[in-house]
Amino acid sequence: MTTFANKTQTAPKPGRSLITKLNMGTGLVVGIVSAEVMYWLSKSWFDINEAAEINKILTLSMFAWCIGFLVGIGAFIGPFRWLIGKDLTAEEHLYMAGEGQGISRYFKYCTDHKVVGIQYLVGVMTMLGVGGAMAMMIRTNLIQPGSRLVTPEIYNSLVGLHGITMIIALIVVSTGPFGNFILPIMIGARDMAFPRLNALSWWLLFTAIITLCSAWFFGGIPTGWTAYAPLSVQAGPGMNAFIVAIIIFAISSAIAGANITTTVVTMRAKGMNLTRIPIFVIGATISVAMAIPAFPTFMASQIMAAFDRTIGTGFYDANVGGSGWLYAHLFWIMGHPEVYVILIPGVAVLLEIAPVFVRKPLFSVNSAILGFAGIAGLSFLVWAHHMYISGWSPSLNGPFMVTTEMISIPTGLIFLVLLGTLWRGKPWLKLPMLGVYAFIWNFLIGGVTGIYLSDVPADDYLHGSMFVTAHFHYTLMGAALTGAIAGLAFWFPKMTGRMLHERAGYISFWMVQIGFNLIFLGMFAAGSQGQPRRVADYAQTFATSDLISTIGAYLTGTGMLVLLWAVIHSWRNGKIAPTNPWGSKTLEWTVPYPIPLENFHETPVVTSDGYGYGRSN
Amino acid sequence: MPSAVKGSSKVLLSATLSVLLGIGVVVGVGYTLNGASDDGRDPVVATMAGNIDTPKGNMPHATATLSVYADAESSEGAHGPDGGGHPGYVTYGPSNHLILPANSLITITIKGYDGGESLNTPFFGKVIGTVDGSMDVDGKKVTLLGMKEVQHTFTIHGVPTSTQDPLFVNIPLSKQPDDAMEKFDEDGTLPTPVVTTFSFYTGGAGEYVWNCEFPCGDGTYAKFGAAMSKYGYMSGKVSVVDHI
Amino acid sequence: MITSDSLPPSIGDRTRKFIKRHDVRMSFLYGSFFTLLFIFLGLSFYPKFMPKIMSEQMQNGKEVIVYFTVISAPIAGLVLGIALYTFLNRHKGDTPPPDGPAIRTNTPVILVWTVVSSLFCLVAIVWGLVEMNVASSEAAENEPNAIVVEVTGSQWVWNFNYPEYGFSTDKLNLPIDRPVVFRITSVDVNHSFWPVQLGVKVDANRYAVTTARTTPNVLGVIDIKCAELCGLYHAYMESEGEIMTAANFNSWVKAEGGHTA
Repeated sequence: MTTFANKTQTAPKPGRSLITKLNMGTGLVVGIVSAEVMYWLSKSWFDINEAAEINKILTLSMFAWCIGFLVGIGAFIGPFRWLIGKDLTAEEHLYMAGEGQGISRYFKYCTDHKVVGIQYLVGVMTMLGVGGAMAMMIRTNLIQPGSRLVTPEIYNSLVGLHGITMIIALIVVSTGPFGNFILPIMIGARDMAFPRLNALSWWLLFTAIITLCSAWFFGGIPTGWTAYAPLSVQAGPGMNAFIVAIIIFAISSAIAGANITTTVVTMRAKGMNLTRIPIFVIGATISVAMAIPAFPTFMASQIMAAFDRTIGTGFYDANVGGSGWLYAHLFWIMGHPEVYVILIPGVAVLLEIAPVFVRKPLFSVNSAILGFAGIAGLSFLVWAHHMYISGWSPSLNGPFMVTTEMISIPTGLIFLVLLGTLWRGKPWLKLPMLGVYAFIWNFLIGGVTGIYLSDVPADDYLHGSMFVTAHFHYTLMGAALTGAIAGLAFWFPKMTGRMLHERAGYISFWMVQIGFNLIFLGMFAAGSQGQPRRVADYAQTFATSDLISTIGAYLTGTGMLVLLWAVIHSWRNGKIAPTNPWGSKTLEWTVPYPIPLENFHETPVVTSDGYGYGRSN
Repeated sequence: MPSAVKGSSKVLLSATLSVLLGIGVVVGVGYTLNGASDDGRDPVVATMAGNIDTPKGNMPHATATLSVYADAESSEGAHGPDGGGHPGYVTYGPSNHLILPANSLITITIKGYDGGESLNTPFFGKVIGTVDGSMDVDGKKVTLLGMKEVQHTFTIHGVPTSTQDPLFVNIPLSKQPDDAMEKFDEDGTLPTPVVTTFSFYTGGAGEYVWNCEFPCGDGTYAKFGAAMSKYGYMSGKVSVVDHI
Repeated sequence: MITSDSLPPSIGDRTRKFIKRHDVRMSFLYGSFFTLLFIFLGLSFYPKFMPKIMSEQMQNGKEVIVYFTVISAPIAGLVLGIALYTFLNRHKGDTPPPDGPAIRTNTPVILVWTVVSSLFCLVAIVWGLVEMNVASSEAAENEPNAIVVEVTGSQWVWNFNYPEYGFSTDKLNLPIDRPVVFRITSVDVNHSFWPVQLGVKVDANRYAVTTARTTPNVLGVIDIKCAELCGLYHAYMESEGEIMTAANFNSWVKAEGGHTA
């Protein structure tokens, strides 16, 4: 930041800089060419007919694609220029922020946090669409016993890809679009702390998603999203795509986490002390801060899996001294914090929405913060409840049961905050507020069933059954995704300048929520009856429960399409939104649309928190 | 306000068409995946061979023949969605889908063209579920093979339900001598097959699966990857139907 | 003299006033409805959908689900009651509603809520620990005359070896009222051994032996499933078994070629 000021006179105008010539197109070209070259090179080193050798060839090619894409889109120009001592000029910095470049800046390595937010939004919606289509395939195959739509092989791939696509989408569904677009404005910052890292985190995610999708062409991911070793070591070449995608995704989320955390810690507007930070900012920060220690273990687990698959190490092979339990530990040490990485920002969005539409202050902000912090802290101590029945150490089931059930206390605080906010209120039931009610119903069911599962004797019966699938869909989809959709309806006017089509929103809301409850109440029944999860086919006993689930899935899927239409239609032709359509008191509603490059003409000074609603008693 | 009405009906039309388009895309994906699930081979339908007296009484008799090859590409059982099998994959043929009559005596002949190494567990060396617990290998009655005498197994099992009779059959196939396999590797000459014949009873109609329990998906963990995890090579289904 | 007007209202007065409020009464009414609904669901839904209960473990698992539902019903009822009241008492119109009361916090409510949810949590923890301990001590007592079954998972078939009788088979038949110790392993990837009606489940890991104990106490058919995704035919990795009388079990052992003691 200090060096470029001295060099402005000699540096080239951005018009002649390489930066102006690079975009997603050049990225794709360089990425694909790199992958092809690496494929061709490594094919001459390794024998393509040997399983382990194919894994080497594909892993190298996929990494080549990721690096090639980033080179092609210009991610490394800044560091490279710094290395050779010709740092970027002010004009180039301005160019990278995308000012005045219209729609094309969304396809560039753009450092403006608002552009990155929109990129995340579109990316996440695409992933949800793809994952949702796969969910429809899964439910169609299970519509009746017999597995008639697809072979078990394709079914297993659908389950794995649906799982990991949705998990990645949900990890970023709130912190990606809103954490990048809204969060800096909410705290009165002019941009993120590290704008170029911000762009890097998105484009890394993009390369990871493309890598993941390539799994279809190499035989799919037949292991479920958990990719348990040794099954993942045995799986075909499609598994390499999973491994590479997870490694890249872990880097992306670490960068995004460091960026958001630093922004919130260092770049708040004057007067925004810790007690005045909006709850969404706190939730999003806790979520990304949890991801920083959690995801490296996932990355490590996948690096070891890659070694097992390519060069024949035996990290997970009991035959040579490894252990499948090692994988399960590494995975769940990431996996259990990770579900709260998904949940907390979704809940925080709803806590942000509730006071605006009830016109009351958020009840007991401290309880909400304590609730989030308690969940975040405990979530690192509960991972082995996923391994009650794995047999690795039955004597530790007791301690893990204690920590797991303790999570119900901070979770209860979140409910208290919502209830206290609703209490004696007359809520304005706009679409965002409906999400709060859907959350209360869904997360109550998800939470109570979670208590059954945390109890060892009940888990002995329910573990690995459809009951578990239903439980975590209630928490992840019923709570976190509902929160994100409510957030989209809430911030849509600020992000696009237009109002979301209201009637379509309501229709979609009810279709999705009714359908969702049909799917997973049916699945609770199937699980109680004894249907294992991830099965391509099942006994006649479960036919009714599964049929109900499938009907619910079609309803939900159609409802999601209505929402998709509403978003696309409103983005293009929706009613022009006023600056503050909901009458909210947080900072993001003070800026006009289109939001200027550095958000605020004058840096705001904060004198109270954003929840000063209400008449005094 | 005709223009407003017109505007709102236009919006409704656009919404409906968009949703239908979305449904169409998903249905298209389903159709494609369904197509990819069909490898284009005709199922093996058992041939009816009159009625026969069995210890369980007089019942229809049906026969079927399968083969198992060392290389899906070079064998006469070449198959796959695109006609040719994966090179180097072992495979059953001519199809992985077997259709059998219900409440009948079934006699299946399997011609084995492959060598072998060792089973993962001795359990699958046992003949299970046949009429008298034995099978016929090149004219000799056999009830058990050692772990290292097997080339593949033909193991039928299924999802037990209240509406479907249980069916479990396990047939280990005796392996080719090593020199025959060496010759095959050198010039592709198929060895003289080991012919295994066995009979079992079917119950009522139902859907079952079969797979090979011999670890023959070379090179990956427990040798159950590759051809073993690829549907249609060493795995398939058995439909027991009332009328053929 | 001090008139009663100038005194702060007593707790009794405040309580009386509180319970007469319309929103309090309606929330309580809705809450009671949801509480009863959840109690009804807890007592009828799971018992209706769970398969035949054929062991103590299965009974324990069912009881946890049923009683936890019943205990949590009042809390769920309270949450949903308040939510439903405000939902029905909504503001209509296209402009934001007028501001509600500026309630920022309420220390007694937060304290009571935290204490109650902690107690609920404590009950759940103690219940679970006690049941686990009872189960493991019972199993230890019963072990001497237990029948041992070695369960081997392989992709995608279970097989069962009865070392005491010297045979192995694809069916898991067991004598009634005799403790059984399952020693479970795998020859390839992870599986999870799940005899559904017996309510126990443990993973099968390669080169490791895990153990599960139970005592079947009801005659009938059992389903054995795999509860851990294990590849292509995971869905079909199911076997059958039966809990039989000792006499029937012995004749089955003979028919399978085993030797009875």
